[in-house]
Amino acid sequence: MGTTIMSAAVEQQIENGLIKVRTSRFGEIEVQADKIIRMTAPFLGFPDSHRFIIRPHGDKSPFMWFQSLDDPDLAFVVIPAAALIPQYTPQIAAPILKDLEITGTKPELLLILTIPEGKPLEMTANLLGPIVLNASTRLACQVLLDPAVYEVRWPVFTETDD
Amino acid sequence: MLILARKIGEAITIADEITIKVMEIKGGQVKIGIEAPHHVSIHRNEVYEKIVEENKKAALEAPVDLSSLEDIFKSRA
Repeated sequence: MGTTIMSAAVEQQIENGLIKVRTSRFGEIEVQADKIIRMTAPFLGFPDSHRFIIRPHGDKSPFMWFQSLDDPDLAFVVIPAAALIPQYTPQIAAPILKDLEITGTKPELLLILTIPEGKPLEMTANLLGPIVLNASTRLACQVLLDPAVYEVRWPVFTETDD
Repeated sequence: MLILARKIGEAITIADEITIKVMEIKGGQVKIGIEAPHHVSIHRNEVYEKIVEENKKAALEAPVDLSSLEDIFKSRA
């Protein structure tokens, strides 16, 4: 994937706080500068991607794209933790909350989904490394939790579901 | 790999700003104290590797289009 060489050429500033960004999936998209999410720590596995944008899949869909603005090829499928597992409320360490400028309010948690090609029913959610987001400051960070408590591949659909 | 022998209470300093100290040795387990600047992230290695691997997998296998997923989710949820 053409990760690093593309960064400089990916975007161009246009008027009214809109930025044009090239993406592999969505072609060229316009992004409002104030909607850009900044990672407060390098994204593990993708340290060159510092800025992301959330693209909802549709009004009624819980799925969203977490698209990198630094790498046109990089996009994750995410879902708000609250929409998938309401009882999922991991304790986030104080220094991380401070980095994200979260005080008092509950942070928004996004779960990254791994969807095996052609087998969507086998999708899993990463409960071990949620993305913690401060929706108002647009600061985010992937947090690593306790592997004794949280699964990295939590099956979204269990076999007994049908 | 650099290998150093340390006793309880002894430490190692890395690049002026990181100190790693042996706090306790008990039952085949070593407790380590780490002092590092705020911007240095510290993770248990096995957790770190799991997350890197899963992030890469999630990114690589992310579908082109989500509409099929939505139908599945609706019928199951």
